[in-house]
Amino acid sequence: MVTIDLGKTSVREGNEKIRQCGKNGEDVEVVNPDARHHIGVGLVHPITVKVKGSAGYFCAGLSDAANFEVESNVGWGVGDNMYSGSVVVGGNAGAIPGVAIRGAEIVIRGNMGSRAGQVMKAGTLCCEGNANFMAGYMMYGGRIIILGDSGEKVGEDMSAGEIFVAGKVEDLGSDAELTDIDSAEIDEVMKFLDRYKIPFKGSFQKVVNAGKKLRYATSEQQMRSIPFFSFSGASDYWNPKIQEDLYIKSQIGRYRIRGYGGARPLPHFSDIAFKKDLSLAGGDADVVSKIKMRTEIGGINGAEPLKLSMPVMIAPMSYGALSASTKRAIGLASTLSDIAENTGEGGMSDAQRGAAKQLIFQMLGGRLGWNIHDMNRADGLEIYISQGAKPGLGGQLMAKKVTPELAKIRGIPAGIDLRSPSRHPDILGADDLVIKVEELREATGYRLPVSIKLGAGRVRDDIKIAVKDGFDFIELDGMQGSTGAGSAEVIDYVGIPTLPAIIEALNALEEIGRRDDIQIVLMGGIRDGVDAVKALCLGADAVALGTSTIIAGGCIACMQCHVGQCVTGIATQDPEHEKRYDPEVESQNIHRFLESVRWQIATIANELGYNDVTQFSRDDLVALTPEAAAMTGLPYDPQYGDADLDIKVRAAV
Amino acid sequence: MSAVYDINRILIPEVPPDYEDHTADTNYVPAPCQVACPIGTDAPSYIGYIWEGKFEEAFEAITATNPFSSICGRVCDAPCEPACRRTDSDGPLQIRNLKRFVMDKLGATYEPIPIKAIQSKTVAIVGSGPAGLTAAHELCDAGFEVHVYEMTDRLGGMMIWGIPAFRLPPGIIEEDIDRLLKRFPDLHIHLNSGLGKEITLDELKAKHDAVLLTIGSWWGKPMGIPGEEGNKNVVDGVSFLRHINAGERPTLPETVVVVGGGDVAMDACRAALRLPGCKNVKVIYRRGPDEIPARKIELEGAIEEGIEFIYFTQQVAVEEKNGKLILKCVKTVLGEKGEDERLQPKIAEGSEHEIQCGMVIAAVGQKAACDDLAKHNLMDVDRVQTEWDTMRTKDKKVFAAGDGAFGGSTIVMAMHHGQRAAYYVKSFLNDIDNPIPYRTPYRTRRVPVAQDIKWERFSPHHPEFFGIGEDPVSFPEIEATYDWDTARNEAARCYRCDAETGSPDYSVAHREDIFSMARTNPADHIKLKSMLQKRLRTRTNPFPESRAPNLDDIVFLPANLSRLVIDPYREACKVTTNLANKLELQHPFLVTGFDNESQEIFEAMSQGCVISKTPYLGCKDPGNETSWLQLSSSLSEQTKHTAGYVYHLDKGEEPIAITPATDRQIVGLAVSTENDLEQTISCSLENKHDILVLDSTGNLGGNWSELTTTPDFSILRDVIRILRKMKKEEAVELVYFGGVRSGTDAAKLIGLGANAVVMGVCAGLAMGGEINNEKIVFSSNYSDTDRVQGLVNIVKANLGEASMMARCTGKTNLYNVEPEDLSAITNDTSKATGIPLPGKCA
Repeated sequence: MVTIDLGKTSVREGNEKIRQCGKNGEDVEVVNPDARHHIGVGLVHPITVKVKGSAGYFCAGLSDAANFEVESNVGWGVGDNMYSGSVVVGGNAGAIPGVAIRGAEIVIRGNMGSRAGQVMKAGTLCCEGNANFMAGYMMYGGRIIILGDSGEKVGEDMSAGEIFVAGKVEDLGSDAELTDIDSAEIDEVMKFLDRYKIPFKGSFQKVVNAGKKLRYATSEQQMRSIPFFSFSGASDYWNPKIQEDLYIKSQIGRYRIRGYGGARPLPHFSDIAFKKDLSLAGGDADVVSKIKMRTEIGGINGAEPLKLSMPVMIAPMSYGALSASTKRAIGLASTLSDIAENTGEGGMSDAQRGAAKQLIFQMLGGRLGWNIHDMNRADGLEIYISQGAKPGLGGQLMAKKVTPELAKIRGIPAGIDLRSPSRHPDILGADDLVIKVEELREATGYRLPVSIKLGAGRVRDDIKIAVKDGFDFIELDGMQGSTGAGSAEVIDYVGIPTLPAIIEALNALEEIGRRDDIQIVLMGGIRDGVDAVKALCLGADAVALGTSTIIAGGCIACMQCHVGQCVTGIATQDPEHEKRYDPEVESQNIHRFLESVRWQIATIANELGYNDVTQFSRDDLVALTPEAAAMTGLPYDPQYGDADLDIKVRAAV
Repeated sequence: MSAVYDINRILIPEVPPDYEDHTADTNYVPAPCQVACPIGTDAPSYIGYIWEGKFEEAFEAITATNPFSSICGRVCDAPCEPACRRTDSDGPLQIRNLKRFVMDKLGATYEPIPIKAIQSKTVAIVGSGPAGLTAAHELCDAGFEVHVYEMTDRLGGMMIWGIPAFRLPPGIIEEDIDRLLKRFPDLHIHLNSGLGKEITLDELKAKHDAVLLTIGSWWGKPMGIPGEEGNKNVVDGVSFLRHINAGERPTLPETVVVVGGGDVAMDACRAALRLPGCKNVKVIYRRGPDEIPARKIELEGAIEEGIEFIYFTQQVAVEEKNGKLILKCVKTVLGEKGEDERLQPKIAEGSEHEIQCGMVIAAVGQKAACDDLAKHNLMDVDRVQTEWDTMRTKDKKVFAAGDGAFGGSTIVMAMHHGQRAAYYVKSFLNDIDNPIPYRTPYRTRRVPVAQDIKWERFSPHHPEFFGIGEDPVSFPEIEATYDWDTARNEAARCYRCDAETGSPDYSVAHREDIFSMARTNPADHIKLKSMLQKRLRTRTNPFPESRAPNLDDIVFLPANLSRLVIDPYREACKVTTNLANKLELQHPFLVTGFDNESQEIFEAMSQGCVISKTPYLGCKDPGNETSWLQLSSSLSEQTKHTAGYVYHLDKGEEPIAITPATDRQIVGLAVSTENDLEQTISCSLENKHDILVLDSTGNLGGNWSELTTTPDFSILRDVIRILRKMKKEEAVELVYFGGVRSGTDAAKLIGLGANAVVMGVCAGLAMGGEINNEKIVFSSNYSDTDRVQGLVNIVKANLGEASMMARCTGKTNLYNVEPEDLSAITNDTSKATGIPLPGKCA
């Protein structure tokens, strides 16, 4: 037994020691814990940790196979995301005990706080006392045993799993119901109680999902999209798209859902131009070797940065929204072009990890697929707050796409219309977020950059908060970003365009004096090297490409991603459709596209007289529309929008 | 011809003048199938028309550039199909079969409108194959008188003499030719007129202003091996087919060997198999199955019919032994790429072997020959010497095209030659010295995308294949045509690579550029350069000055980090309100506009309002159960039992005081920008009116006034400003009317200061109405129940949307959405609402 005195060593050092002991097979006793956060996070070896006192937030979090005994109380999120292993808390637990556990056993001898077992996937959470409100909130599986009273709204929006309540069921949550219990189940519960030496003689009531909200009641009629020019720009107020929307909504009584990016033009990079006449650009065959393009992202706080061969990375897109073979193709292409790929919401598969040399692992509110092992093999960690396409909404995956295989990696029941929570269980505000960032760092030994993914809204405020929370870099996503599925109205009307988003972000950094060190990766409708350079000129440190890489790999932009029957085999989980996509061929296509982007960035840099991509400047740009000028502060000069360009271009080539 | 993704698709060269071409259309890019077609057939459009059941339109699109559409529907080698982007998924669109479907329907009966010659100059065309007759078509279309000289007694060239009837029944050829001749009465045909025999080049040059030689590759090449010459059992493929097509049905020996792997070899082997006496047909080819040039469908057909293919085998000699024919062969292996970029076969040592047979058909290539032309020094060995860039021969008055000029190819390529040659002949006749280079024009008919919900799932449908049939000697046709259902399902599969989808950021042009970027070798700087230039192009401002301020140009700001995120999927949001503390509303919606509709429609509306608990704002009493906000222009009409009374101010009318008829009755004025707002507001406040109805159309109560005027929602801004100035912001509740289409619109208006919104057209459309001539017409086959349900559903859907927007901004009460939750994305909308733009000036 090794003793670690947190009165004398820092939590960071203490955790490193505990991990070392885990490796060595030695048990640990933590003294003077004094309710410090993150005690014992990130353990992946069998070990017993005895905490002699109270622990703070996330005790035993992000671990697998460890057994914890906490003498007194714990703060929020005890056992956060634990795989196997156990935690026994002698006193009371704060809010969200057992949040997102995936197999662990958590026993609270006293009472537990609200939202116990939120988004848990498997394992058992047991409370000898009373639970506060919303126990089992949005749980996807596993078992909660409450020997006292249930608290209000027990089982609120649970998708699966079971909640046994011995005391009073005060109030059932939305889509929860009481059901019969068979004796075998009781036997299992009693066995569990025996194992933890919990004496109990009473009876139980069992709460399960009522199954009324797991699927949309009526399905939306599938339509191929109307061409955008017939409903945007100077089109009629009551245009064909509006009429179609009204027709569909009056059939289903619900908002419409679709995939892809926005369905209307917004002020965008096409509305700004380079001051310099670039109509002769491209004469230099060796241009790529002449421009310094290597970009490191995420190293400001000492983590190992992502090393990009150009200021470009792949935008987060999930396995789920996309087929496994599409994720593979993108991963391979990112490796061939030596940039970074991102898992998006759906967890990390071995195939994804194998394909991508550098891979960012994204964590969302539903904690789908989130776990310590994949964190350890990631090259960066990312906390998703929102995305440009649908900020405010969680991920959406229609039942057709929630196959058993996909459900397994995400830790959820198969065949539900998955609507991921839009708020993290443990991030209600900036102060929680900073603790969460620390937890991720503690669990992975401060090796990995931790980034934030932010859909553009009140960018000025959000950026300042993100900086305060200590992220290593920021991924900022404008509303031109795409999604696999979302409310059509949210896709088109929530958030601000990418162009003003970067401006607001940089202004915010300027105001807090952090313009020079905080890195921003801009995304949301960046389609090629030209858009990328404009973003870099405006001040982004790198850009991320999503939809354009999908198109390079064969997407035809039919905007039916949500249906799950993708004709090209990209946005589908149907093996018959996925067969249509050849990752080996498409990875080469995507790679060539990325190389073309590289060539475009280098050529424009060269033509502007630069030899390093960090030299791009907003002085290189003008605005072609009053809106673009107003949003960016660039000089307005429509003359640069060259109507005769076609002719000039032909003459040049 | 260019590959589909080459530089010419990125920067499409200029089209010659007077050709209809739509490549300058920013919302159109010729689809890969169209680019792969040498004559630029607008396949996506005719496929779209087929799905719509518009066969005549499809026929027009097919035949516009193709005088041999019926023929092509049967036997085109269809380069469009391998180019089809669906090939990589579950198989290409069956474009040729779709064409055949249309031509089978209309090809025989179509009556063209005759086009007469209007030019004084005349053109002679020698040879009536696809190149010659297509050139004739083009030149006649341009108004020239054309004389076609054909050495045989039939028109059609290799189409009639080379393709056996089981693939192309003679009636089909006649169909196309009849159509051509009917269309051009000044197209003169001279049959049995061989060059150098019945006519000479000198005579043609004297008689006509230009001569086009499309003499074809009429003669089979010999194999060039010992024993071949003079052996009556060794024939060349084209001669063999010519005899068959002349109607002969010779009895063949039991085993026939065909040498070669091209389309002539395929036709020859399949024809042989059908003839009396023949039991086995073997094809020997000197490369492998991956290299064989025959079109896949011909090859598969031949294999299915039982023809044996012997690959990697090359003939070296023919001998006769004991009355049997022996073809001596060697095996080959593939070596390096040759000059033609194809892997060259090499002889495998010690692989000599023999194949016994009764007949050898050599299909190893064709050649042109003409003594008269040779005499004029116009031949280059076995072709008419022709310059591709001008289609000219050495004689400036003489042009040439087709197989006779450029070697054996396909019907559709020969047609391209004909079009190309016609262009240069026309330029010559019009005295244009240096015409801009010809390029195939690309047209689109802008056909909507097929709305078939199964388009992603349908797999390619191949028509039934009959093979040699029950009576092979009669050469029955080998495959069936589609029936309408199958054709429609096949048409539904089209990706429509030519068309815009709903994505403006990824327009068809931008997508195709990305696609091209993904298919460019990183070392191909010329292509990279042209692509960069194309990408540097800017767009036309999507928000032109003519665009009125629009609710679409307002966006919501999400909660993210600065506010507590509210989960729109599951967390509660308060949507009920109490209008003026007198009328409990379950949601912020009212309905208007049905006063003049039929009783049936009005009652359905009324019932929908009852179910959805929606008040009706109108002149007509919707019945007892519906909350009625009576709209009237005469105080004397004020009814006691109503939930509210709204006096509608006429344009410029002074505001008046209204007194509620009961304690619970809501009263107010309906006002538009045509009234003095300040005065009206003062009057409302003085008289303690409960509500003010803001009519942004100026014609509330009229017939669907939202369809005749663009809603001017600056009225909301102005009223709020006046109230704010008076420090009476919440003293009167605002009910907004005009242009509310969705819950999103409603949430925006609530954010801008409205307490409730009125749906007019939105409700009409939800109840099955259709916009027709600035009115809503309820002519569809909705039942009363459907209409009621439509209204109930739209209220529900709009409410869901509105509360979703509220929650996205971090609100748990819809009525707490405020201007700070909004951003404007255009200057005009920003001005009309007072909501700032994001970015620099935020």
